[in-house]
Amino acid sequence: MNQKTQEQTRLFSRMVAQKQGWELNPDESFYESLIEGLTTNFNRYGYYLCPCRDSEGSREADSKAICPCVWSKLDVPEFGNCYCALYLSKELLASGKEPVSIVDRRYEE
Amino acid sequence: MNLNELAYIQIEGTQRNHDIVVYALSTCGFCKRALAYLEEKDIAYKYIYVDQLPIEKKNEIKAILRERFKENVAFPFAVIDDTAHLVGFIKPDWIRTLGLTEE
Repeated sequence: MNQKTQEQTRLFSRMVAQKQGWELNPDESFYESLIEGLTTNFNRYGYYLCPCRDSEGSREADSKAICPCVWSKLDVPEFGNCYCALYLSKELLASGKEPVSIVDRRYEE
Repeated sequence: MNLNELAYIQIEGTQRNHDIVVYALSTCGFCKRALAYLEEKDIAYKYIYVDQLPIEKKNEIKAILRERFKENVAFPFAVIDDTAHLVGFIKPDWIRTLGLTEE
């Protein structure tokens, strides 16, 4: 299976943030732990499953939780960060506030 | 399956007021932050990275926790004294449930 390096995952995260108009988590150790987690997930499952969500067993079942997850488009504007806190809104970053652990919308549907 | 029989990793600490079990993902930043917080407070606990288990076993653990606590399982999922539980790492909730004081 195609494997990703952490540098490739960093590049991926920068591209997502740029495309969505988001910022990356400025806490370097937290950011790096997520990059490590995303890379592990890619190399384990073959896709960038959210590092803070567990796999349901297939790409199809996990499709909504593949980074950037479908809920991030709701969570970043509403809470200032996505579920795993890889991505922040520009407003949250400017405020200097820390991202917080939020409720997973995955089971709310 | 009996949750007590899982291969938890035991972390020692001088604070042993509660029996704390954390179900976590090895890939998750908030899980790591929660575990680091317990260690920072010198709290004894045990944890298991469920993403490193076979999926059938992981799903069984989730089903047991969901049934016992009537809540969807997200991570970190901490069980306190076999009765209370915490989902996610929302620090004020952990402080309150564990009877800690904010610094």
